Amino acid sequence: MNRIKASELSAALFLILTGILCFISGRSFQTMHRPEPVFPSAGLTATHRLSDYFPPLKNTHGDTEVYIFRGTEEGGNLLVLGGTHPNEPAGLVSSVLLIENIRGKRGNVFIVPRANASGFTHSDPQEGNPQRFAVPTPSGPRLFRLGSRLTNPVDQWPDPAIYINPARQKLSGNEVRNLNRCYPGRADGFLTEKMAFGIMELIRRERIDIGIDLHESAPEYPVINAIVFHENSSELAALALLELQAEGFDIRLEASPVNLHGLSHREWGDHAGIKAILLETPNASHGRLKGKPSSSLIVDGKDKFYAKASRLGWLFVPYGEEGIPLALRVARHLAALKALLGGLAELEPEKAVEVEGMPPPAEVQKKGLGAFLHPPQKSG
Amino acid sequence: MPEWLVFVFLVAVFVLLAMAAKVPIGPALALSALAGALFAGEGPSLRHLVEGAFGYFDTILIILTATIFIKVLEDAGILDTVTALLLRTFYRSRVLLLLAAMLILMFPGMLTGSSTAAILSSGPLIAPVMMKLGLPRLKTGALIVMGGILGMIAPPVNILIMIMGGGVDMPYVGVTLPLLVLIVPLAIIVPLVIGYRDLRVIGREEMMSILPPALGPAYRLRLAVPFIVLVVLMLAPGVTAGRIPDIGIPAVFLCAALVGVFCGRPVNFLKATQKAVAESLPVLSILAGVGMFIQVMTMTGARGWIVMSILSLPSFLLYFGIAVSLPAFGGVSTFGSASIFGIPFMLALISKNALFTSSSLSAIASLGDLVPPAAISARFAAQVVGEPNFFRVLRHCFIPALLQLAAGIGMLLLAPFLDKLI
Repeated sequence: MNRIKASELSAALFLILTGILCFISGRSFQTMHRPEPVFPSAGLTATHRLSDYFPPLKNTHGDTEVYIFRGTEEGGNLLVLGGTHPNEPAGLVSSVLLIENIRGKRGNVFIVPRANASGFTHSDPQEGNPQRFAVPTPSGPRLFRLGSRLTNPVDQWPDPAIYINPARQKLSGNEVRNLNRCYPGRADGFLTEKMAFGIMELIRRERIDIGIDLHESAPEYPVINAIVFHENSSELAALALLELQAEGFDIRLEASPVNLHGLSHREWGDHAGIKAILLETPNASHGRLKGKPSSSLIVDGKDKFYAKASRLGWLFVPYGEEGIPLALRVARHLAALKALLGGLAELEPEKAVEVEGMPPPAEVQKKGLGAFLHPPQKSG
Repeated sequence: MPEWLVFVFLVAVFVLLAMAAKVPIGPALALSALAGALFAGEGPSLRHLVEGAFGYFDTILIILTATIFIKVLEDAGILDTVTALLLRTFYRSRVLLLLAAMLILMFPGMLTGSSTAAILSSGPLIAPVMMKLGLPRLKTGALIVMGGILGMIAPPVNILIMIMGGGVDMPYVGVTLPLLVLIVPLAIIVPLVIGYRDLRVIGREEMMSILPPALGPAYRLRLAVPFIVLVVLMLAPGVTAGRIPDIGIPAVFLCAALVGVFCGRPVNFLKATQKAVAESLPVLSILAGVGMFIQVMTMTGARGWIVMSILSLPSFLLYFGIAVSLPAFGGVSTFGSASIFGIPFMLALISKNALFTSSSLSAIASLGDLVPPAAISARFAAQVVGEPNFFRVLRHCFIPALLQLAAGIGMLLLAPFLDKLI
């Protein structure tokens, strides 16, 4: 191996060069700490922070907003979680769409659009992703951050070699920063475990009846276009499936594996006794076969490599040249949410949750997301 | 810009810089990544280059702190003493010595899942013993590499399986038996293949004459303390189910190094650290360069093109694709290969027993540690035995690596039969 000829001058030059690189790239990384504005509808009744339920999260990057829409009639309590994995944009955008449009009618709705707020402040090394994606609206593009699946290592580091999560599941070390492996959380644990604990506290204190965790998965992953349900929600999931299929959505049911611990669809049900549901839609931008990552790949969902993989039978979801756009993925989440609420009203009328103003999934597909999002220019 | 053209350009610039212009590998990778980003019309992409380089930040810290640990042991006279102890214990039996050496080499990797940690912590203990008993330097290097690689995939900790399992929702449970079925025969055969012919059986007098200068009996118990600290800190979080926190492998090595300062001859910790930095810097720069290279490959779509090209092979070539692509991409990153190729292959073989499939794939992917340009394990093993050209060590890894590859593919093919048998 060649050796670099070192001198004081070369050392000084490299130090200066490194300083310049750190400054320039640091400014770019710093922009990830600016949350995209959310413009709640007039139906918003309160905004809390997760730290209101679990104070140790206060002044940490694990703290995040909880938007509350209380209905005028008695009913159940619904929790919607977006941004558990900030590299799965349909979760964030679906939550924002709800926050900016709905009004509570019956029961109460709690929406956390950026469940792992720290994960939104960085991007995954070696994934080459853009830091933001632009959703077109009639008033111009609205920007959203594309973060990482994991908590920012600046907030939680180092990872252990092996992670034994609060549910005693043994996982690879970096899963210690994956919110959806840390349930039911630890009050005195790592930051991500504290976030999970904070969400469990929210569930307990607000007496949540049904929790829906919005995700996306790579098209080569078997659990896709799916409703993953805890066994206490099997009837509800089956009812929702029927309604979704009647509306023309190709969707499948996946029972939460009983030996896979730390995930929301398992631990919310086991530890808080609520109906625990996780929804998955297909997202090419965080798959392993993706072509060039870009805002367009996220929003339009077109990828020639995935189209080819689909033709070769490698995928668990049909993926044509036309792609699977974000609007369709969000529409799927909204349709599933609507179907689940319908099923809940049928099975347990006293826990029914009704909202007004929810963007109709068919309209979201037809008109696009921008038609239901607040215009970007008013973000100030 | 077609993705294949970007990939060809990236590789061409790297080869030109590294081979023709003799630029060190690390900077050559970084510069070719920068050139690739410019060629693809992405501009200098500083954010991407820095982000990619940080992909191996933890590995870089492990290598650096493990090297500091070894330098402290060297300066304190502990390494020589351990060598003397091993020589006294095993000089009579080649087979016992080779098997014991293999176990010692594998042990840190079994605990940490890191071949680098294994090679850097056990390699310097074993290398002098083997060379004093007649095993040529290059074969000693090969033994150390293969020990590190087998340690990395041996239970209880196999990070490659954890990465692949995470991609298909397979919990890290039940892999011990399949891994033992795969690895125990290899751990017996590989050291014998590498060392049996050359290792000499010597008499007591000759053994005494080649003993390195060891520290006196007064130091005996103290000498074990850095190793005890190392093993206890690595084991404690797992044994106590997380009640004792895991401080991370770099901190474990650093703690053991600091303890080592007080356990033998006086050590200048600052000087030991400086030596460690100087020694490890070329490899650390390769890791940073590899990170940038992958980031640019991904951001330009070249990674997707490579993955799809391999996955597009006809089904009868699937096992050939596994045998080639998993180790080949490991030349850039073994863990990256497990994630990028291992998970799709797991899915392609989903009808077979996932425990056997993941065990086999991890054994095949781990061979990526031998593949240039990174060839991390081979580089470190060469460094441990004082060989400047790691390719010369690699030559002696060829047959053991083929055996491991054959065992991995064999287990994949026999998975349905083994599933019924075990």
